[in-house]
Amino acid sequence: MNELREKAKELLQNGTVKVIIGYVEGTTPNRTKPFIARSVEDADKLVFNKFCVNNLAVYLTRKEFKQNGVVGIVAKGCDVKAIVQLIQENQVNKDDVYIIGMNCSGVVSDLGEEFNENTVAVKCLHCTVHTPHLHHTLLGTLEETPKHEDKNFALMQKIDSMTAEERFDFWEAEFEKCVKCYACRQACPMCYCEKCIADKSVPRWIESSAHKRGNFAWNMIRAFHLAGRCVGCNECERACPAEIPLSLLNRKMGMTAKKEFDYVAGMNLNTPTLVGTYDVNDREDFIK
Amino acid sequence: MRIGVFICHCGENIGRTVDCAAVAESCGRFPGVAYSIDNKYMCSDPGQNVVKNAIREKNLDAVVVGSCSPHMHEKTFRKACADAGLNPYLFEMANLREHCSWVHEDRIEATKKAIELTRIAVEKVKRNDPLSPIRVPVTKRSLVIGGGISGIQAALDIANAGFEVVLVEKEPSIGGHMSQLSETFPTLDCSQCILTPRMVEVYQHPKIKLLTYSEVENVEGFIGNFKVTVRKKARSIDETKCNGCGNCQQKCPIKKKAYSEFEENLAFRPAIYVPFPQAVPNIPVIDRSVCTYYQTGKCQMCVKVCGREAIMFNQEDSFVTEDVGSIIVATGYKLYTIDKKPDESAIKGYGEYGYGKYKDVVDGLQFERIASASGPTSGEILRPSDKTVPKKIVFIQCVGSRDEAKGFSYCSKICCMYTAKHAMLYKHKVHEGEAYVFYMDIRAGGKGYDEFVRRAIEEDHVKYIRGRVSRIYEENGKYIVKGEDTLSNMPVTIDADMVVLATAMIAQPNAPKLAQTIGMSYDKYGFYNEAHPKLRPVEVSTAGVFLAGACQAPKDIPESVAMASAAASKSLVLFGSDFLEREPTIAKVNESVCAGCFYCQKVCAYNAIEKKEIKDRNGNVVKVIAYVNSGLCQGCGTCNAVCPSKSVELIGFNDEQIYAEINAL
Amino acid sequence: MEEKKFEPKIAAFVCNWCTYTGADLAGTSRLKYAPNIKMIRVPCTGRIDPVFIIKAFEKGADGVLISGCHPNDCHYNTGNFHARRRWILFKELLSFMGIDSTRLHFSWVSASEGKKFVDVVTEVVEKVREQGRFEKYAKINEEFVIHE
Repeated sequence: MNELREKAKELLQNGTVKVIIGYVEGTTPNRTKPFIARSVEDADKLVFNKFCVNNLAVYLTRKEFKQNGVVGIVAKGCDVKAIVQLIQENQVNKDDVYIIGMNCSGVVSDLGEEFNENTVAVKCLHCTVHTPHLHHTLLGTLEETPKHEDKNFALMQKIDSMTAEERFDFWEAEFEKCVKCYACRQACPMCYCEKCIADKSVPRWIESSAHKRGNFAWNMIRAFHLAGRCVGCNECERACPAEIPLSLLNRKMGMTAKKEFDYVAGMNLNTPTLVGTYDVNDREDFIK
Repeated sequence: MRIGVFICHCGENIGRTVDCAAVAESCGRFPGVAYSIDNKYMCSDPGQNVVKNAIREKNLDAVVVGSCSPHMHEKTFRKACADAGLNPYLFEMANLREHCSWVHEDRIEATKKAIELTRIAVEKVKRNDPLSPIRVPVTKRSLVIGGGISGIQAALDIANAGFEVVLVEKEPSIGGHMSQLSETFPTLDCSQCILTPRMVEVYQHPKIKLLTYSEVENVEGFIGNFKVTVRKKARSIDETKCNGCGNCQQKCPIKKKAYSEFEENLAFRPAIYVPFPQAVPNIPVIDRSVCTYYQTGKCQMCVKVCGREAIMFNQEDSFVTEDVGSIIVATGYKLYTIDKKPDESAIKGYGEYGYGKYKDVVDGLQFERIASASGPTSGEILRPSDKTVPKKIVFIQCVGSRDEAKGFSYCSKICCMYTAKHAMLYKHKVHEGEAYVFYMDIRAGGKGYDEFVRRAIEEDHVKYIRGRVSRIYEENGKYIVKGEDTLSNMPVTIDADMVVLATAMIAQPNAPKLAQTIGMSYDKYGFYNEAHPKLRPVEVSTAGVFLAGACQAPKDIPESVAMASAAASKSLVLFGSDFLEREPTIAKVNESVCAGCFYCQKVCAYNAIEKKEIKDRNGNVVKVIAYVNSGLCQGCGTCNAVCPSKSVELIGFNDEQIYAEINAL
Repeated sequence: MEEKKFEPKIAAFVCNWCTYTGADLAGTSRLKYAPNIKMIRVPCTGRIDPVFIIKAFEKGADGVLISGCHPNDCHYNTGNFHARRRWILFKELLSFMGIDSTRLHFSWVSASEGKKFVDVVTEVVEKVREQGRFEKYAKINEEFVIHE
């Protein structure tokens, strides 16, 4: 904790960064909340622990930060993946971000819960970046990540084994719950469009009322627009008040990207993005 | 809106299957349609007048014509609209002929579909915007790829009209296959005698920039504005210093290591060489794969004898960029070689003819060299194996052509003629010799062509046998040719001294690669596709690119020359105006919502997406967004599809229009 | 009384240069195919957006055909390559969401393949006819109409 605060003070003091996006203690136990540290005093409030779940990269694309000079950000490996992807998509200038990389052995799946082997977030189970792969400074120490059954994956396998009709029924039931609050979109660091296709009325590709037809369309398009871009932070699912297993869709796309193109989003600044490039040998056995 | 709908009967073509009057009546009830009528021939003058009059009299603000494919008459009707004062882009076509009446039989179903197709067009046209063509300047300069007779002709025609030409040839000299030929049918005039002056003219022409031993590496841009990168392969010679004295070639110690490409492997050439004495330019190249210096670091004999210090062992490939307005592709053909280099052989087959195994079984171009006065035998007909005069030669036509099982299904077109010529040349030089020709049919269409074949048969007593040869084998110094005479139904055996195979003309092996570089399409054999087989035979579907000669399909010299002149005149038509009008259906960015992710830029094949800075009042950059260079955008719309927020849209096929079409399905 | 045979509604999105022209050739050659298919012309397969497909299903399509130029023959050089990559992803997504990928067909049909165009259309129409109405989507479509 101290090393984070000391580093933050140093960066703010010597002018390396204008602000630092980080975490502070929440109002109730086992919680943290995002915080913008602007001064040395602010820096003393910063924390990093098992409850730093939020992907703070979502704030980097906010206009108010874009004109703020260099922004420091406290980032776990999964957050760094988002930052890499944002740099690749011209949303963050590489020189305008200072990554305070945090060694992270896992966070809790939802705020307020005790951290133990049963509550560690699903995304941490398969994490390949406990030590952030891109950072300006690296803090913290690694511990063993608790392991438990990947229920998310089990559900995915179950859906895969269903007939098409059953799958449709499954999602129909899920999307029936969707209230089109777009919290999934707000929480997603990759959803930075100035005007989302869902908000466009001419033409209205995605029906705005919270009916499952438009909900189908919305969730299909959301997942597709994130294909090859989603870094798997699962903030969408955590934000969803209807508890729709949104991450399954993203994970399916992520697994397809890996299987078909050996591509993982957010890992390397120099790898061309998945969509936007092609290989003449891409599979086409499904094309007549 | 006041939309006019015009349903064409196309005589009986649509009317037979589609109840056009009923379609017009139904369409008249679509919201926004103010006028709807059917007509016998919409594309006729009276038909177009129906449209024009209706626009004026009914005060129409958009037009839909339900007739044939837009590929057929979109331009016609756009012009009719414009003539009547309506913006030509406030027009859509419903394809009721190719996509409906011609492919469906049930009159009720076809009529129903015709109504639906027209409804889709009506819904689209409601969302069309008035557009005006984009004007782009024309670079009045042409690139000709290939320095054979086609390329030479095209280059000279354009240059003589006063415009600059860049002529790129991959070999060290221009001239192509025609320079290898002995005499030409049907006049038997000497090939080199008529070609060489043209080659020299190219070399000396002030408007022609000749780049030999060079290949087109990259093509960017579009009609009127191409940017071409050419790789000048390292000749290992300083072209500015060499005066073509030929000393190096004479003194080069490599005598019997490399076969001469020009002599079709019937003779050797040194490591430093000009391909043939009349080569243009008369500047040698070094074949690094056989040159002693490159292999061992020693020798340098050429350096010693060169009085001009022109040898440059360390020369590297260099690149030149040329701005041109049109491109003429004249890359020619290759002869199908059976086993000369098995790996490069396009097809396997005809091994039973012993080509490659028997030295005296040769192909057509090899026989040209044997018969040529400048060839390895100085024009004497001698067997390659023992340099004796063959007393009996068998010529076999259609080796690879018209043979789907072992070769290609197409006819190589020139072999009937050149085989007659070969047989004749042989008979003229070896009076007592016997010439046999195995043929499938004689295809001698062309001025003086059939007379030529008759002359071979009747005056020069060449024996024509209708049938195929099953195999050839060697026995007691003779080549036993086993075949069949299908007219008498008798097997035929001939003990020949030499066999000449009229092998198929095939596309250049790297033809697809060049096609991809330029953006042309090609058929399954690698021959380039013309834009229309009847009406646009020298154009390709990419505007500003034209075809000349055998790269499009097998053809003879006069046809190639005619095509080259046609391609040249097509280029000159382009150069006739300073500006070119381009379709305005290109992409456009909605600056207020573009978030600048630049996926559009990643997928753009034309580098048409640029970055644009949006600044606030104080000059600070607020955001960087995409910007479409209208000169480069070709209107494919891939950017539109990948843009997550649809901030870049393709004019003419924008989201609203396609949405309306889907809605109308 | 004999029940009327189900006739599927099929939407096709085809590129202007290859498949649309191939379909023209099918017409010029007077080849025959079922009238169930209605084509929407776009310049290039690269222009085809997954929202088109979703919207087509929402508008009651029982099947969708996407068709364009063969690889390397794209009029716009690379549009079909980019499209193909996105299709791989989208197809997987649709299938995971229960939209039987056998209702979504892809083909390369060149301008000279009038016969192939007919074969593809015939195969698609037959297949979708066999599968019957896209009941699942039709149901939510109907509910939506009531909902509105």
